[in-house]
Amino acid sequence: MRFFKKTTWAPSLRRLSGLRREEKQEDIMGLTDASGDLAGEMEVDAFRRLFPLRFYERHLLESIRPDARPLGKARDTTMALGAVASADGSALVKIGHTTMLAAIKMEVMTPASESPGEGCIAIDFHMPPICSPLIRPGRPAEAAPVLSKQLTDIILSSEMVDLKELCLIPGKAAWMAYLDIYCLDADGALFDAALLSAVAAFSHLCIPAVSVNDEGRVFAISEEQIEGKSLKEPLNKGKRKLTLSCTPLALTCILHKKYILADPTAEEESIMETLATVVLDMSGRLVSFYKPGGTFLAYTSAVQDCISLTRQRVKELQEILTEAIADLELD
Amino acid sequence: MAGKSSTYSLKKQHRLKKPLFKDLVDWVRPDTRGFHQCRPAFLRTGAVNAASGSAYVEFGSTKVIVSVFGPRESKKAMLYSDIGRLNCNVSYTTFATSIRGQGSDHKEYSSMLHKALEGAVMLESFPKTTVDVFALVLESGGSDLPVVISCASLALADAGIMMYDLVTSVSVSCLGKNLVLDPITEEESYQDGSLMITSMPSRNEVTQLTLTGEWSTPKIHEMARVITTTRWLRPYCDYIEDEGHLRSTCFKLHPELRPKNGRGKPRIAAISEVPFSSGEGGA
Amino acid sequence: MVGLSGGEKHYIQGGIAQDLRTDGRTRLAYRQISVQTGVIPQANGSARVKLGGTDVIASVKAELGKPNYLYPDKGKVAIYVDCSPTAAPMFEGRGGEEFSAELSLALQRCFLGGKSGAGAGINLSSLIVMEGKMCWDLYIDGLVISSDGNLLDALGAAIKAALSNTGIPKVNVAVGASADEEPEVDISDEEFLQFDTSGVPVIVTLTKVGRHYIADATSEEESQMSSALSISVNRHGHICGLTKRGGAGLDPSVILDMISVAKHVSEQLIAKLDSEISAAEVEAE
Repeated sequence: MRFFKKTTWAPSLRRLSGLRREEKQEDIMGLTDASGDLAGEMEVDAFRRLFPLRFYERHLLESIRPDARPLGKARDTTMALGAVASADGSALVKIGHTTMLAAIKMEVMTPASESPGEGCIAIDFHMPPICSPLIRPGRPAEAAPVLSKQLTDIILSSEMVDLKELCLIPGKAAWMAYLDIYCLDADGALFDAALLSAVAAFSHLCIPAVSVNDEGRVFAISEEQIEGKSLKEPLNKGKRKLTLSCTPLALTCILHKKYILADPTAEEESIMETLATVVLDMSGRLVSFYKPGGTFLAYTSAVQDCISLTRQRVKELQEILTEAIADLELD
Repeated sequence: MAGKSSTYSLKKQHRLKKPLFKDLVDWVRPDTRGFHQCRPAFLRTGAVNAASGSAYVEFGSTKVIVSVFGPRESKKAMLYSDIGRLNCNVSYTTFATSIRGQGSDHKEYSSMLHKALEGAVMLESFPKTTVDVFALVLESGGSDLPVVISCASLALADAGIMMYDLVTSVSVSCLGKNLVLDPITEEESYQDGSLMITSMPSRNEVTQLTLTGEWSTPKIHEMARVITTTRWLRPYCDYIEDEGHLRSTCFKLHPELRPKNGRGKPRIAAISEVPFSSGEGGA
Repeated sequence: MVGLSGGEKHYIQGGIAQDLRTDGRTRLAYRQISVQTGVIPQANGSARVKLGGTDVIASVKAELGKPNYLYPDKGKVAIYVDCSPTAAPMFEGRGGEEFSAELSLALQRCFLGGKSGAGAGINLSSLIVMEGKMCWDLYIDGLVISSDGNLLDALGAAIKAALSNTGIPKVNVAVGASADEEPEVDISDEEFLQFDTSGVPVIVTLTKVGRHYIADATSEEESQMSSALSISVNRHGHICGLTKRGGAGLDPSVILDMISVAKHVSEQLIAKLDSEISAAEVEAE
């Protein structure tokens, strides 16, 4: 609570204690009037821990969040492409404190018989124990496989990557792109950050130049070899960058009573449980809408509000992405 | 889908050339460093907000993140203990190495990390509870374990865990006639011997030491000299231009900090002020 | 863990300080060593070593395999240790697993040398059958039957004895096989190759109790240790591996001192072990 000075809080806390007297039916932990007075003198941090929902609702009344954001505003977002040199494409994305590291490694495979002209993408989302106090080694996080599945569905169904571009020799060899996303710091809106990092990693991806030997095995060739022309023409000349179309981007919102909170933190997610995730592509088409239950039922107007918030957010993210790519090319 | 079709990673067509430095006395390291020079380093604490303490350390292309959680309640199955427990875990990302791995836990490093730290942490200061030290190697570029250990000690200090001193670690590879400090993966794969040392610099104590390969007596003495003269292992005060402490805790500059009742009092390492001089670790 | 009363602890520590340990030994003396070879007929080589109350078995099994593509001219050696739960209460459950892993790692470090194979106790190049195609894989397994301290030294001695007991079948590679095909081999049942074990080091563990360090500590003495250094030394007095155990830190000068003491102790240990091994071989025949 560095943002608010305690002195400015004293009057509003007093109002809070008054509020409590009117809502006795919601008395938590058998608190009496005396405890209401106690709350009047309570430190802000203690109040936040003891009555988190009240704490938030007081803020929402004033249309502000404890971290000083307006309700519809997402946290600061930064992006760095090429964070991992051992991968073919990688990106580090930070949305507030939430940090995601995505990296793509390209391997060669024999394409499946039903789609001989297509490569493949395998997406895995990891939550290592470093990212959150709730995760211990040996006990994988429940959320990780769910997010893996969602990310796979959205990246494949949005047709961001044309799988035909991943083909090397039809029926013989194609690329398998292993996309691994690691959550380094979990502070809410994991899906948004994971999807953004995946998109960024794909836009950073540079497919290695390869050639094929007599046995039909594909091997990598270095830049000097291409220029020196000591070998035959690389197999995938001019096809080392993927053309990304219809990139999907997401925004998660909390629906709480009549309020909509964009880009929630972990604390907000744990207190107000109804979430809705909207995924739009760059041209504003709806790719996915996901609202997994929750205590609050959304009116269609709320859904529309979520979508329009997402539309703004996608524009922001698009700019950040273009900027990062431009920076990379400058180097 | 991934499981059905078997994939293979690209092998470089020309395998790493057998290094020519084996018999030479003067050769240039692949990254043109001096033999007794560390890679450029970057250290920062407070990398993970969700953790009690954390640090991110980069040595060349070796990138490591360590989070510390706790002290928190020990597992129910644990017996009562009047000292705290240290629980260490080291894992790799799937893309950390040049060939895609499984990203599983590294048991060997986990136990080595535990041994390197247990002597430095004041376990009696958090009885009945556990401090978890989790490390993730984002990218492996050689000397992974020493980097993990140094990073973990920074993270512990960031979490406010009481320690006798910060723990620093470095490894040395023996290549032919030469000793090289802070080896990269390529050098490690051709080494004749290696040595990893973990020490508490202000107390001049070694907490962990491992050695492989054949070492003659003169070589061991040379190695000891290389390691102990490496500047970055020890804090450095620029006020009186001497090693062993930092400017912020220099007694000449701040006489009020001088302990009143003798020496040897444990202190919490002041972590944000640890200086590091990239590539300055020459003998 | 050994439960000791304050008086007993004091007695052990006091004895060490005065160079007269509870069993009458001096600080750097070893307990009685007995070696028995060829105890497991199925293995290519085996040995049982008793060091006071510590009893361990090591076995060597050789199988044909394919060399690592990074080192086409070298065979492979794997060392694993298993601690029987009956050997000591601490080996029950997961404690045993962790301790076994620690011992395996320490032994690998002492016997296998650097990544390039330099300084290895076992000459990996002698294990090659056909370069890049076929080599012998040695599986060295240690089993702890009874534990009374100083397991690492006992296991090291047992492995050394087992290796000198090992005979590897002679392999004849069929001539004329082209470079791409899997070579055809004929494994001889009669001719065996003996190992050159002169380079195999011994392990000397020096346990620091109080200000002094002792060799060949019993488990009672180990419970009083602050830290321990396991140093493997070969016949030429070269250090082949070193592992530190125990939480307490050590001064670098103390470490160098311990290394030179270990070298001195190792000379006696190697001589003693050699005579025991040759006596055991004679007995077996």
